[in-house]
Amino acid sequence: MGVIGYGLGVVGAGIGIGLAAFGATSSIARQPEVEGRLFTIFILASAFVEALALIGFVVTLIAK
Amino acid sequence: MPGVEFVGKKGRAVNPLDKLGEEMDELVSSFDSTPIFGDLTVGLTQYTFWMFVAILVLLIIVFTFKKKQAASGLVPKGRFLNGVEFVVEYCRDDLCKGLLGDTWRKHFPFIASIFFFILVNNIIGIIPGCKPGTGCIGTAGALALVSFIYFIVMGVRAKGPIGYLKSLAPAGVGFPMNALVWLIEVFSTFLRLITLAVRIFCNLFAGHVVMGAFALLASLFIEPLLQGFSMQALGNAGASVFWVAILLIIYMVEILVAAIQAYVFALLSAVYVQIAEGEE
Repeated sequence: MGVIGYGLGVVGAGIGIGLAAFGATSSIARQPEVEGRLFTIFILASAFVEALALIGFVVTLIAK
Repeated sequence: MPGVEFVGKKGRAVNPLDKLGEEMDELVSSFDSTPIFGDLTVGLTQYTFWMFVAILVLLIIVFTFKKKQAASGLVPKGRFLNGVEFVVEYCRDDLCKGLLGDTWRKHFPFIASIFFFILVNNIIGIIPGCKPGTGCIGTAGALALVSFIYFIVMGVRAKGPIGYLKSLAPAGVGFPMNALVWLIEVFSTFLRLITLAVRIFCNLFAGHVVMGAFALLASLFIEPLLQGFSMQALGNAGASVFWVAILLIIYMVEILVAAIQAYVFALLSAVYVQIAEGEE
């Protein structure tokens, strides 16, 4: 069951990181000079989203 | 892992995946903090031991850098000098100047120490046989606590205790909403402490568990071939090559994660300092 729960948790994080990457790439395509600043923001946003997925993973392993 | 059960078909050799469940349990329990010296109250666990190794490595790097830099003059020569200087400049320009603006000089020492400490810890952790000092919740929590206290102190210094508490609520919002938003902001400030700690701990823990899982798969699939030759054992060994390939890819991703997590932690510390200090 825990494994299934983790899979469900990953769906959200996957959508989140996908949206972040989509936004970053399309804005860089429109305005290539913002790439440097956008990279920081993209990494920051992905870190926030990814933390949720990782919490799910660790809780799956620790709390059986 | 109770969900994974592959029952071997009758008359054929056992499926290597049968053993995966218990091996995984053993792997995960091997990540628990166990004291190698003293006990859990006073002593060194394997994580703190590698943290001290990381501190030692960091000090050696910094002092050799200073010595070599003084010897080489203004223009850095050689890979080592240029490499360290690149990382320091990246930290200065990207993390401090880009985010903190005018006050970057005051916060650079703190942000840079956190960045380098976590970076060296993470890099040492991905060397096979070593453990990441930041891979246990204790070290990660302590780092997060240091960062938390730092940004609150900076906020109090910039605005005064009352001013800092007031600045948590947004200006220009009516009375009842104001108090509610203030409560939520106080809650989210404390949440930062938890998320900072949990983020870095989970990233390292999860990364190492995944690497360990693929290493286990590789060893489980090569085992039948070592016990006796058969066509199926050969096929399993072929699968083992595949697992090793995935392991190598994940290993490279982990090197990336080690650098990115150090970057993210330092970046978030800088952002929090900027939020605490900044004007409304």
